[in-house]
Amino acid sequence: MSSAASARALKWVGLAVAFVVAGLGLIFGFWQGLPAQEVILYTAATFALVAWAWRSYTTRGEVSAGAASEGPAGGGEEGESRRSMWRGFVAKNKWILAGLLALLLIFGICSITVDGFFSVLNIISLAVLIGLLVFSSFMSKFVVENRSAFIGLTVLVGLFVIGSLKVEGFIYAGNIKSMLLFASFLGLACVGQTMVAMLGGLDLSIPFVIGSANVGLLYIMGLGVPGWLAVIIIIVLGVLIGLLNGILSFRLQGQALILTLGVGFAVSGLTQILTSLGSRFAGNVFGSVPGWLSNLAAMNGTTFGLDVPPVILIWLVVAVFLIVGMKHTVYGRYLYALGGNRVSAARISISERRYWTGAYGISGGVSALTGALLLGWSGGGFIGVGQPYLFMTLAAVVIGGTSLLGGHGGYGFTVIGVLVLQVLTSFLVGIGLDYQWQQFIFGLLILPMVALYARSPHIRTQV
Amino acid sequence: MRPIEGSFSLREAAMSDTTVRGGRGTASTYLLVPILLFFILLIVAVLRSDSLVTSAGLGSAIIVVTPLVLATYALMVLVIAGRGTVDLSIGPLIGFINVTLIQLYDQQMLQSPVVFFLYALAVGVAYQLLVGLIIVFVRVQPIIVALSGYLALSGVNLVIMQRPGGIAPDWMQSWGLGISILSPVTAILILATVAWLLFTQTAFYGHLRLMGSDERAAFTSGVRINIVRLGAHAIAGLFAGLAALTYTSLISSGDPTQGTTYTLIAVTALVLGGASLAGGRGGVMGSLLGAVNIYLITYVLATFNFGAVQSFVTDLAYGSILVLSLLLTVVLPHIGRVVHSLSPLLFFVVLSLIGLGVIVHSNYDYAGSGDESAALGASTGIMVLGAESASEPEPPAPQAPDADADGMPTPREPAPAFVFERVGPGAADTTTAQSFMAPSLVAPLAIAGLLVLSTLIILRTTVAQAGGTKSLAPLVYIVVAGLVLLGIYAVARPGGLDGFNDVTAAQTSAATASEAQ
Repeated sequence: MSSAASARALKWVGLAVAFVVAGLGLIFGFWQGLPAQEVILYTAATFALVAWAWRSYTTRGEVSAGAASEGPAGGGEEGESRRSMWRGFVAKNKWILAGLLALLLIFGICSITVDGFFSVLNIISLAVLIGLLVFSSFMSKFVVENRSAFIGLTVLVGLFVIGSLKVEGFIYAGNIKSMLLFASFLGLACVGQTMVAMLGGLDLSIPFVIGSANVGLLYIMGLGVPGWLAVIIIIVLGVLIGLLNGILSFRLQGQALILTLGVGFAVSGLTQILTSLGSRFAGNVFGSVPGWLSNLAAMNGTTFGLDVPPVILIWLVVAVFLIVGMKHTVYGRYLYALGGNRVSAARISISERRYWTGAYGISGGVSALTGALLLGWSGGGFIGVGQPYLFMTLAAVVIGGTSLLGGHGGYGFTVIGVLVLQVLTSFLVGIGLDYQWQQFIFGLLILPMVALYARSPHIRTQV
Repeated sequence: MRPIEGSFSLREAAMSDTTVRGGRGTASTYLLVPILLFFILLIVAVLRSDSLVTSAGLGSAIIVVTPLVLATYALMVLVIAGRGTVDLSIGPLIGFINVTLIQLYDQQMLQSPVVFFLYALAVGVAYQLLVGLIIVFVRVQPIIVALSGYLALSGVNLVIMQRPGGIAPDWMQSWGLGISILSPVTAILILATVAWLLFTQTAFYGHLRLMGSDERAAFTSGVRINIVRLGAHAIAGLFAGLAALTYTSLISSGDPTQGTTYTLIAVTALVLGGASLAGGRGGVMGSLLGAVNIYLITYVLATFNFGAVQSFVTDLAYGSILVLSLLLTVVLPHIGRVVHSLSPLLFFVVLSLIGLGVIVHSNYDYAGSGDESAALGASTGIMVLGAESASEPEPPAPQAPDADADGMPTPREPAPAFVFERVGPGAADTTTAQSFMAPSLVAPLAIAGLLVLSTLIILRTTVAQAGGTKSLAPLVYIVVAGLVLLGIYAVARPGGLDGFNDVTAAQTSAATASEAQ
């Protein structure tokens, strides 16, 4: 017993040592100013070597002892059992193996058809990809809870490694900052979608509210209202629109998708009509954005002297607030309870109407805030600024692992989904793919990821 | 099934579906909203512009509306199949078939019309079957699969064709002209509708509806739900293929992005037609009306002149009408409880009488009126439209929407010419103004109202005497068929009718028919 415990401790120590050595290598590598790709490559190699060496020297005795005890069983039988084990392994993991083979096949085809595809970096990328796939598929058996977060994180790490290998300047501060900036816009837009999805609803009015807030804020400020007041007015209006969504869709929960879309159309049309009254250029609002607002969201903004746009900080605060709040407050727990089972939630007198409308209200308010921040980022009002968020919010929520049926998930998951989408975008832009290819890959990415963790049970188990 | 089905036109075909799916009463009361909306829009459209009810006007309307109708059908099949299936990828799918058709045709493939057709249908079915297989075997929520397909296909479309271009085959060029009601597109629309109605007679359709309303019940009662779901997807694929073909004929070229917009419009049309996205409710009549309503909303708004904010007003109107019609479906059960035996069929007949009255009136009543009054009317119209134009520096008139009903001839002198030029694209022409003569509108409307009232009373007494609905249905079919034939006659031969004489004759004949029963 004690020897087993000590052996385990030895193993962990080995891992820690490997980690420290690799980390030192990483730090020194960057300190010396080597290219990022090389540093990462050497770090990974050091880590693997140290871990392997440690293991082979510390556990050799055990292995040989085990082999000795099995010694008399005879070679033929051992080969037989190994073969059957192999067969069982293949049968158990046939889908994963098929996926790996397909991946190799695609790689081969690409190498043959595309010039310059067959390079060291690409092979390493492939190896990393396969390694991560194998790792996650084997580990996911042990990760029972929050499997989606685990898979999302694995994909995120994989993307990061491959991205830094393939794309020049991928992990430098500027690029990471811009990734975080766009991620915070998307992440803020996803707040409402997550809250609503937790209850089993959908909010498609988000892009329209974002666009309307964007144009409306500039218009209100153009009327001479001070900036801070204008932002507050816009957010209050957003909350009101959200509440309207919630009240209207409460009796039509199955149709929340289309109802919010209708409200969105109406809001965006109304905003544009109101803002173009008395204007010669319908649909366009001209005006200047105050400096503090553009500092809030622009790429070169500073937070307390730090060279980081404050919007990232805002997103961080909102995310922490939501993650902690949904886990530890009564409101958050009741939200899960309602999403899980309406009847049992009603039995402990949770007002479904209040929570439903509340979630939509929050969604509207945060969307309006996003619109206002986007105004600071772009410097000009544009009603279509929210359009990319129409399905991207949904995609981020789904990839993160929040169930669209409600009751499972949370904002933490959505953060992972947002980061995956953003890093993937950055990577795809980096390797020179156009917008349409990005969309295509997003579409293809959603299915396997969701299939890994959000499969519904077979109908025969539901009867 | 009644022998009349499919033999006349779309309208009866759709009507008979209503009776199949639950006759009158609560089962299909949700159809009341689209029917009411349809006739309100139709009457307004006819009053605003007399170019709609002409051979060319109806022809172009059919050309424009058919892709939307077929896309809505495709969505309808999947909505009936349940599990919250809203196929968001229908728009990109239409675009995908469109761009691949055009690209392949430009590369000297798919030259034969038959192959062209088969390719479109096969791609639609193949895609939908793939989606169905994923839903059935991977067991991911349908909306996630649809979302994934939306993103992937709209990306691929842009890869296949960067910008709009290409030319449709020669034999298809003439389809999109829209100068006559009877075009291949109309034939496709009618065929698709009739095919769906025939399909509703099969046991498979029964299984489909059972599965859509309660999948577990269907499973336990031995329905092979996997097969049924795949079948529903295959049918949806067929409709999507047809929608793509008619869409191609509409634009006569390839367009990678425009097809994508069909997703939101088709979902809107589906809901405007009274279907429930939650599943279990939906029908061909509702989908047809919903799609036509969408077209009419755009059409009516185009006759008003909102200047630069035109598209925003359209957005606003879409949104508000969508929300209102959804809210009405919530209220409807309560109305249905108060008003018993409220039959959508009867409702439809009554409203179609009103609509026909207005159409006939606006088309033929003023044909012989003097030049002087026409000129007066024209100037009135100009004034009204000028006042409505929101792009003017002066504040817009708040009474703009109902200006057509009671707009008085203004004593001011006619508006300057540049206002006149901006009166409207296409639909709102100088001829539009003729239908503005508000005072003389009253009498025909009153006649139409009286006619409707009398017909209603007669029909009502018939119902009371018969004591059941079954004997009423054939009568209603006869009335509707007569009306439609009359309408076709009126459209085909302008000037063939003198005022209301023939209509009243038709009415009396219908009335005698009902009395005879």
